[in-house]
Amino acid sequence: MAGSIFDHLQEEVQDIIGRYPVKRSALLPLLNLAQREEGYVSEEAMKAIAALLDLTPPQVYETVTFYTMFNLKPIGKFHVQVCKSLMCALVGSDDVIEWIREKLGIRVGQTTDDGLFTLSVVECLGSCATGPMMQINDDYYERLTKETVCRILDELKQQGDCPLKSGPFMVPEPTS
Amino acid sequence: MSQETGQPTVTLTIDGMTITVPKDTLVIEAARQAGVMIPHFCYHPKLAPDANCRMCFVEIEKMPRLQTSCSTKVAEGMVVRTTSPTVQQARKSVLEFILANHPLDCPVCDQGGRCDLQDFSHEYTPPVSRFTELKRVFPKEYFSALIETQMNRCVQCLRCVRYCDQVMDVKALAPQGRGTLTEIKSFGHHELDCEFCGGCVQICPVGAITSRLSMYEFRPWMLKRAETICGYCGDGCEITLQTKENRLIEVNSTLGGGRNNADLCARGFFGYHASTHPDRLTTPLVRKDGHLVEVTWEEALETVAAQVGWVKDEYGPEAIGGLISARCTNEDLYLFQKFMRLVLGTNHLDSSVRYGYMNAIEAFRRVQGLHRWTVTFDDVVAADTLMLIGTNVTETNPITGLKIKEAVKQRGARLITLESLKPVRGTISNIATLATHHLELSPDQFGIGVLGLIKAVFEQGLVDSALEQEAPEYVGALRTKIEAITWDRLLAHSTLTPSMFHAAVRTFEQGARSIVVVGQGVLRSPGGYATMVNIHDVLLLLGRLDRPGCGIAALAEENNEQGAIEMGAVPDLLPGALPVSDPEARRAVAASWGQEPPRTPGLTMMEMIERAKTGHLKALFVVGENPLGSLPPSAGVAEALDRVELLVCQELFLTETAQRAHVVLPACSYAEKDGTCINTEGHTQAVRKAIEPLGESRPDWEIFSALSVLLDSPMEYETAKDLTKEIRNMIPASRVLGPAPLPPRPDREVLRRYILGGYRDDLDGRLTPPPVTKTTGTMTLSFAQSLFHSGKFSTKAKGLLKIQSAGVANLNPQDAERLGVRTGDRIEIRNEGGSAITPVRAWERVPEGVVVFPEHFDQDLRQVMSVTVDPRTGVPYCKLARVSVEKV
Repeated sequence: MAGSIFDHLQEEVQDIIGRYPVKRSALLPLLNLAQREEGYVSEEAMKAIAALLDLTPPQVYETVTFYTMFNLKPIGKFHVQVCKSLMCALVGSDDVIEWIREKLGIRVGQTTDDGLFTLSVVECLGSCATGPMMQINDDYYERLTKETVCRILDELKQQGDCPLKSGPFMVPEPTS
Repeated sequence: MSQETGQPTVTLTIDGMTITVPKDTLVIEAARQAGVMIPHFCYHPKLAPDANCRMCFVEIEKMPRLQTSCSTKVAEGMVVRTTSPTVQQARKSVLEFILANHPLDCPVCDQGGRCDLQDFSHEYTPPVSRFTELKRVFPKEYFSALIETQMNRCVQCLRCVRYCDQVMDVKALAPQGRGTLTEIKSFGHHELDCEFCGGCVQICPVGAITSRLSMYEFRPWMLKRAETICGYCGDGCEITLQTKENRLIEVNSTLGGGRNNADLCARGFFGYHASTHPDRLTTPLVRKDGHLVEVTWEEALETVAAQVGWVKDEYGPEAIGGLISARCTNEDLYLFQKFMRLVLGTNHLDSSVRYGYMNAIEAFRRVQGLHRWTVTFDDVVAADTLMLIGTNVTETNPITGLKIKEAVKQRGARLITLESLKPVRGTISNIATLATHHLELSPDQFGIGVLGLIKAVFEQGLVDSALEQEAPEYVGALRTKIEAITWDRLLAHSTLTPSMFHAAVRTFEQGARSIVVVGQGVLRSPGGYATMVNIHDVLLLLGRLDRPGCGIAALAEENNEQGAIEMGAVPDLLPGALPVSDPEARRAVAASWGQEPPRTPGLTMMEMIERAKTGHLKALFVVGENPLGSLPPSAGVAEALDRVELLVCQELFLTETAQRAHVVLPACSYAEKDGTCINTEGHTQAVRKAIEPLGESRPDWEIFSALSVLLDSPMEYETAKDLTKEIRNMIPASRVLGPAPLPPRPDREVLRRYILGGYRDDLDGRLTPPPVTKTTGTMTLSFAQSLFHSGKFSTKAKGLLKIQSAGVANLNPQDAERLGVRTGDRIEIRNEGGSAITPVRAWERVPEGVVVFPEHFDQDLRQVMSVTVDPRTGVPYCKLARVSVEKV
């Protein structure tokens, strides 16, 4: 497809498709790739994937809407995903959401006007022992308090990074 | 083991009844055969079991839990209970869950009265729900101009999605979201863009997907039904026309009915309003002082009788000609030719089979000695190898297309396509995407493609050894001729390679049940007849022509083209497709008619037009045909019509031709008359009257009958049935309804004559690739049929016009980029014949160098076409032109 978001990723795309005996199996990895590139899965990306995998765009749309972690709309530079499952809820995830709302003025599902932050709630991120917690982009932030939440958001806004992160979640833990 | 069929069977007990069914039958089907209806939503006999609705639970002894009867196969000794308290309880629970969300809007729902959920609720649900939660509410969204969705009513059985994928191969519908919040949509919030076959509307068990054409118009019990045959393409689908107070309300189709088995296309499902368009002619018109004025039937008929009588007396019967549309019923066609031959005494009569189908019939008659397919739709479904040549099958004959899709998708047949299509998937199905071997050709190259097949057969050494022994000269002559043509010359203008042809014929040769389907791309392009004979050669060489389950299927464009042949509505054939020149056939016909048909050879359509131009043809009857609107201006139809002294048109609408007529007689459409027609595979089917004729319009046959009385050779019939009886008596072995009566095998004698010498007379001509005409910068313009229209008739159907209301030139995106245009821009198409400006669309499936334009909207563009007439069959070729294209 001319002008597709995959133009500069030809090699990676072919590598992904080449992994599977059935082309259609490459759908999820390609959607991941599209989201990595643009932050969300655009309609253009879905059409491009459909053409690559011999599917129709509605079939791709079907898959995208089944999974909650694909974004259908552009999101902020930092995607704040607060765990609201039972364990975190017991130790105050509602407070975390409220702190973020106070700090940034956005509710769940909204993006700040400067396009930096989008707030979502998600199901269990498997970090129950360290709740309340949230994931921003790929990084975990655990044992949150009002102060740490403010500091994280401030530093992300100013420096684009924050040392309070405990890093991406990994299973099993890296044995370095 | 069943005694009769030898098929393994299984005996089981359902609700105490013992029943024997074939092995692998589903419990739900076995129950139905035992007379037990198990409630269900997601199960449908046309679809693979999905077992998602859980409504069809049954208790099976020795199985631990309730089983879904739609996905459980029968087993020997199985004991099934469908009405036990446990089962009842399960049904209740399933319905309670569905109704937790289903709105109580039956009074405004079009499905009311024929809704599965309504019926099952009456039967199984408690009157009060235990749910106190709010129901889910989907915001209303515009879905499409013809199909309405009301997702609050959806029971998420996914029948629509599965039908769209498994049967139609369209995949335009998909469930979106998950759980209770699943909605059926197309691509996000975009409007539905699909084949509009209406399958989802028909298969939805509730009112979630309905037709906007009949919204809020009816309750099912108000409708009168007429089972009839669709008037569009040659597939001859059975449809149920539903009417209220003499108005057409909607179309349905019945599972297990007709040749289509409930499948329809956009034309069949949404195109029914063409018959009752407000422009319909409802009174006879006679030209007075240069204007057509309304008159009584008596006056109009007397005018025609007086004038045609005068022409006959003055100039003889040879000065009279007639043309009839192959959309008429057998009864109309039969009486037309009888009227022309007996009452007027001329063989100058022709029908719209002359636009292309005649090429197939002449080739069939020459090589196989018959005038029909040797295969049926059932053979197509059962075929293991299929080859499509220039068919564009989804667009021209959508239901034949479905048979091919079924063969490929569900039975694993191999498909070889020689099509002018790029195998790009979209939400209009593309048969090339299903092909094992796809040979992409420009629409003017199908003849070359077939030559390539012959060459490949020889190069791969696949010639049938029995044939080589029986007719070494034939094989030798073909080999010599084809060897003289180099691949370079054959493939000069395509991207194909010889090895692609080799692979294709090798695959084709492996099949035991091999069928070639030939379409308009061959039959309506220059050299159509020669290519058709060459296709016979391919099958002969491979030893596949005279084998059960093998054969050539040529697709008819109009619904009764096969009928026009069998009724003798062509100059050189009498009823039963017997040659006029055969004295024995003439005697047989005379025995029934009481008079011999005229002996003088008749003229084809183009010959009549030429004769009229020179002033030798004085009177012309045109029945439902519109040569002025179908042929390009260069054919000189206007000049010809200006010169005839009497032009009589029997028409539904005041067409271009009818506007020049001296007398216009209002005829009625297929919805208003009884009769029969024969579909492209040779099935005779009944056309039944659904509404009373509009205004004063009358069936065509009645008009001929009335005229015959005034012309003193009365041919009187009380009803169409009397004519059906006469036809049946005249045509040997013909039946009232049903499949072709002839044994569907080629005539061995004729076949022998062909391979022992008959092939020779035009061998040089037909085994020569057409001269190279391509020059850079020019493109091939192809007038092609659209999926949403059929001829010009469908352009009166308001439903179809909502999908496609104007002509758009389709270009490959690369060509569009080269020309600097995008979808929606305008281009000028030009050649020595003239020029026209048209909007453009970039469409991935169009091959490079080709402009595809829907023939239904060709009014302004027809001038760029020139006409060449086939030397043997008289078919006018005017669907292809070389043009230059520019952005405007």
